[in-house]
Amino acid sequence: MKDKNTNVGSPVSRIDGILKVTGKADYSTDHPVKDPAYAVIFKSTIAAGKIRNIDSVAAEKSPGVLAVITHKNAPKLNTKGGIRGGAMLQSADVLFFGQHIGVVVAETFEQARHAADLVKVEYDQKEAKIDFEKLHRNGVKPKDKEDEKRGDVKVALENAAFKVEETYATPIYHHHPLEPHATIAEWQGENLILYNSAQIVNGAQNAAASTLNLKPENVRIVSPYIGGGFGSKGGQWGNLVLAAVAAKMVKRPVKLALARQQMFNSVGLRQRNYQKVSLAATKDGKLTALVHETATHAAIQDEFVEPCGDCSKIMYDTPNSLITYRVTPMNLILPTYTRGPGKSTGSFALESAMDELAYKIKMDPIEFRLKNEPEKDPSNGKPWSSRKVVECLKEGAKAFGWEKRKMEPMQNVQGNYWVGYGVACGTYPAHQRDSSAIIKLNREGSNVTAIIELAAADLGTGTYTILAQTAADALDLPINKITVRIGDSDLPPAAGSVGSVGATSYANVVNDACMKITDELIARSGKQFFARPTAAQLMVSEKIANIQTRADSKPMESAEQYSSHSFNANFAEVWVNQSTGMVRVKRFLAVTGAGKILNPKTARSQIFGGNVWGIGMALTEESVVDPRFGHFVTRSFADYHVPSNLDIGEMEAIFIKEDDKLANKLGIKGLGEVGIVGVSAAVANAVFNATGKRIRELPILPDKLL
Amino acid sequence: MRPFKYTNAKDVPSALKLAAGNPNARFLAGGTNLLDLMKEDVERPDELIDITRLGLTQIKATGSGGISIGGLGRNTDAANHPLVRQHYPLLSQAILAGASGQIRNMATNGGNLLQRTRCPYFYDVAMPCNKREPGSGCGAMEGINRMHAIFGWSEKCIAVFPSDMAVALAALDAVVKITNASGEERVVDFADFHRLPGDMPEKDTNLSHGDLITSIEIPKNNLADHSYYLKVRDRASYAFALVSVAAAFEMKGNLISKVRIAMGGVAHKPWRAMKAEQMLIGKEPTEANFKLAANAEMADAKPLEHNKFKVELGSRSIVRALQMALNGGKS
Repeated sequence: MKDKNTNVGSPVSRIDGILKVTGKADYSTDHPVKDPAYAVIFKSTIAAGKIRNIDSVAAEKSPGVLAVITHKNAPKLNTKGGIRGGAMLQSADVLFFGQHIGVVVAETFEQARHAADLVKVEYDQKEAKIDFEKLHRNGVKPKDKEDEKRGDVKVALENAAFKVEETYATPIYHHHPLEPHATIAEWQGENLILYNSAQIVNGAQNAAASTLNLKPENVRIVSPYIGGGFGSKGGQWGNLVLAAVAAKMVKRPVKLALARQQMFNSVGLRQRNYQKVSLAATKDGKLTALVHETATHAAIQDEFVEPCGDCSKIMYDTPNSLITYRVTPMNLILPTYTRGPGKSTGSFALESAMDELAYKIKMDPIEFRLKNEPEKDPSNGKPWSSRKVVECLKEGAKAFGWEKRKMEPMQNVQGNYWVGYGVACGTYPAHQRDSSAIIKLNREGSNVTAIIELAAADLGTGTYTILAQTAADALDLPINKITVRIGDSDLPPAAGSVGSVGATSYANVVNDACMKITDELIARSGKQFFARPTAAQLMVSEKIANIQTRADSKPMESAEQYSSHSFNANFAEVWVNQSTGMVRVKRFLAVTGAGKILNPKTARSQIFGGNVWGIGMALTEESVVDPRFGHFVTRSFADYHVPSNLDIGEMEAIFIKEDDKLANKLGIKGLGEVGIVGVSAAVANAVFNATGKRIRELPILPDKLL
Repeated sequence: MRPFKYTNAKDVPSALKLAAGNPNARFLAGGTNLLDLMKEDVERPDELIDITRLGLTQIKATGSGGISIGGLGRNTDAANHPLVRQHYPLLSQAILAGASGQIRNMATNGGNLLQRTRCPYFYDVAMPCNKREPGSGCGAMEGINRMHAIFGWSEKCIAVFPSDMAVALAALDAVVKITNASGEERVVDFADFHRLPGDMPEKDTNLSHGDLITSIEIPKNNLADHSYYLKVRDRASYAFALVSVAAAFEMKGNLISKVRIAMGGVAHKPWRAMKAEQMLIGKEPTEANFKLAANAEMADAKPLEHNKFKVELGSRSIVRALQMALNGGKS
């Protein structure tokens, strides 16, 4: 075999790519089911109060309508069952604008949508808590997040040669995966099949089962392909169980898909944050204090706090540090994990402040960061399993041409544009989580093939491909002999594609399964070998037709002794139109140290995806709430501006060579989250370098630069 | 979306007849805005008369040296037509600044003029809006009004007209040719085509039910050498204008002999900057003169709570568009 053990680390194209570009990959509601009915959700138009009356007579009489389901006739569900955000028609209470308050089921989608428009709802309205600008100062300590304090920041700030004390604000962002949340529910007797995109297949199974008062083994989640999720399909939302309820009531399979406009207040969001960062430094640029005070909002009925202070705990060496969290319950949908949770927003504040302080000291911002590089994890004293911030900064500076940057703003003028360079770092924790996998080997003649099965998720980022690569190398088989089956709760339980644990957890268990089956074949042969034979060789020599085994993998115990994180350095060149204030990111470079890179092609795409969203955070994306009504004024893609192609300039990704065997057996650290972290600060710092204007509230829209 | 009847008109007379027979019918051309609004339950026609097979797509020179653009031609074809590109680059630039390639491929020239405001309070049936539901109030007046008007608004409505193409047509002194329900033709000056909101914000234009836009005509001019469409927006593509400026002028010697400036994103209709135009006639095309003219125009602006920046941005945009026009479109 020519390509022995070289699949991992090669830029293998997605093995599911052809299926996707030819439309043969079935996403949630694409799955063929017999005689489906269609459900359309309708939503509250107040932010707080009670439903006094729902008049659904006209809707029920409308052609094709099979059922109108509201809190009056919905079955009792377990509201503590793991479905996020409530909104499952369990009471007349309205807690936020756009809460699901009913479902119309009809023969066709168009009939259901029309009938939903005919429902008339009367409310007893209460005063809603919506205005975060006014409310955030009265935030309380969250239930699950402690403030963290080291040393005495007060004294250090008082005695500082240089300091920065500024507040940074980020708006509400939405996940908006290309595939909106959608579910097919099909009952087969006591058993329920849910075709539904899930970043955590087993999590979705448990959430649905517990909420519907079923046993997990009676619920099957089918989610082979996911059209993006970014955290919004990590937990599951009302649509999942409402489809099941509707299917039960009309005794048919039901398809329920959210419209894009409904996505804004149905499936969580990244909340608005105020972050005050205070930094103190000596004359020669050594940090003496780092204070990061964060304020955010959660829902009335439940709490979720984005951990914006987390990167400040580990990024820089300082003897004195204080991180605080405050949260305000508001009448908005429950926030949730959103790409780079806490880190993408937290790094905007921290890395902007670092840039501000470097400028005050008149120090190059890269040099300033190098000067404050921590030898150990400052938050717990553990050694790093690996940390390549220095390499990211140095190699990035070289590749980007950082030496051309001017220290002072407005010095680089090209025609009608100010040109600026910015840098910012980012980080995200690296973990492995428990996962299981079954491997099946089959032989016909000398042709040996393998099937890998686990309830993993592919968000579109390449799980199928990296697992085939991993198995091909571990078994010493060509990659086209490997079939990967994932996205089904009938398969062995696996971690989930969240928090950058997917690739690490899945690849390690697949590798373990391959090793285990080879060991079992060796044992079964009863022979001793000088050189370890491959599984395929043993299948042939021992004339075995088929064999299977299961591996259950856990993180290495020794990994606990280390602090494991991915790190990056981001470089942006922006051009700002002097007349109009419009900003273009001409060039962007992300240099990442994220352990072993399994596939440089999918890795590069994943980093670019994070970078593009980070550029969107910096320049275009913002959801605006009208504090009188609690609704999003930005309610479609015409108003909520994700970057367009033209907003994105030249992109480049560099990976620092790393193979972090202290973190896990395969040396992987995960890429999904870190790609967005530090990006918006790099752009904002470049805008300052271009214009001399420090924008501390994202996004940097043209009017802020006039 | 409410159920509706779909009828297919073979020719202009049958389209007019179908429309005359049903006051709740609407013509359907590209459908890029109308169908969206029907899905949102904002527009509620009970019949759509498909007029995409009527012809009326031609672009041709007129006898008097101008150009005639078919009402049912597609935006993309208008933007890329050699006559438009050569003689009216301002129009080409403005069309290409609007929407996205996909939408421009569907949208028609007549339909572009009839698109409705993108005010989010108009689009959301849960919100008050005098334009959608006369008498219900204006959600934007005390709400989020960053995108809204600074000229010509009324207490009833502060919405802006979203078209880019129309801003260039306003600057180019276009006329709109219309056939009414009885088959009579008339010609409307572009300035009289759209309305300010006044007491009837529900009426965007001076068209009556059953009126069909057959063509748009632009007279001959000598503005092509010095014209530019500048659009300032929140992202580089597929975003409505914060402010846009169509600027064009003609020189005699060192002096400006004719000038046209129209603005988008600032009013309920394309806003002709007449004051600025008057100040520039007979003047040298210098930055100082551009600034004086721009500031004079913007002095009349009446901004709202969230769009005060549009005054400064409008002024800068007029100056910048004129500078670009002076340099033949190059920065």
